[in-house]
Amino acid sequence: MINPVEFKDKQILLTGSAVGIGRAVALLLNQMGANIVMIDIDEPGLEKLSSELKGERHKSYCYDLKNLEGIEGLVSGIVSEKGPFDGFVHCVGIRSRRPLSMLKPSAVADIMGVNFGSFIELVRCTSKSNHFRPGYSIVGVSSVSAHAGSASVTAYAASKGAMESAVRCIAKEMANRKIRINTVIPSQINTPEYVKLRKNSPSEVEQLSERQYLGLGEPIDVANAIIFLLSDMSRFITGSSIAVDGGFLAS
Amino acid sequence: MTNKEKLKLIEETLELEADSLNEETNLEDIPKYDSMARLTLIVLCDDEFGKLLSGEQIKKFVKVKDILDFMG
Repeated sequence: MINPVEFKDKQILLTGSAVGIGRAVALLLNQMGANIVMIDIDEPGLEKLSSELKGERHKSYCYDLKNLEGIEGLVSGIVSEKGPFDGFVHCVGIRSRRPLSMLKPSAVADIMGVNFGSFIELVRCTSKSNHFRPGYSIVGVSSVSAHAGSASVTAYAASKGAMESAVRCIAKEMANRKIRINTVIPSQINTPEYVKLRKNSPSEVEQLSERQYLGLGEPIDVANAIIFLLSDMSRFITGSSIAVDGGFLAS
Repeated sequence: MTNKEKLKLIEETLELEADSLNEETNLEDIPKYDSMARLTLIVLCDDEFGKLLSGEQIKKFVKVKDILDFMG
């Protein structure tokens, strides 16, 4: 019996792994034998996740990805210590709801910086020679917000749209190095963020839910798609954005 | 920040006329006090006072005084 999705001893970099989709990716990769390098600002979340992972070769780094200038040194340090990467998944994202009237430049900069800026910087740094292994695949977690407008998520939606646009360019630029890069586009997924939104804005959530034919998604649904994109099964896929949205964008 | 300053801040944030609010003003009587206005106040409390106000909490506020008290 063959296993078309093989991750034994592969080293995957994962941001935003403490909760939600990132956490589901970490747990799934762990089951498949991967070594996981986690970067997150949530230290208790990282510790809790680390305690659940089997194997001794995982490592977590508590780091605020708002500090874009320090990412290069962080990545070099990780590669020196742990070796090069086979994959990178960017799950981190600030999703604060902020009406336009309150979307001041500093808030825009923060959201764009963490969601998009840190993604570009991590891609730039991990794609240097000897920082990645053959078959290196990168996945960014985008959002249906980048395709369907909602009030009060302007900067968040823009950051995800920027990610998808950048991925199309980077795919072309990195093709000669055989680096693939794609995004997944989740809709409403059952994460702590969703639970909070449902409590605070039940009517808005209800409206959005009507577009998801398959109901509310679970983090594992998005994690499955991410694993596919990290694996050799998707070796002919790059520069793509794959909807994992229960039919949201088709509705 | 004094309550007078907080009232001014709320008026500016919600684009209301100066001196149109006082502590006893009923929130429901404020023009266009809708879900967007409530979200705006939630963000204001976080940005200016570092206090996290939930949607559930703000829906229970009746008067402007409730917001001022929350701001601390």
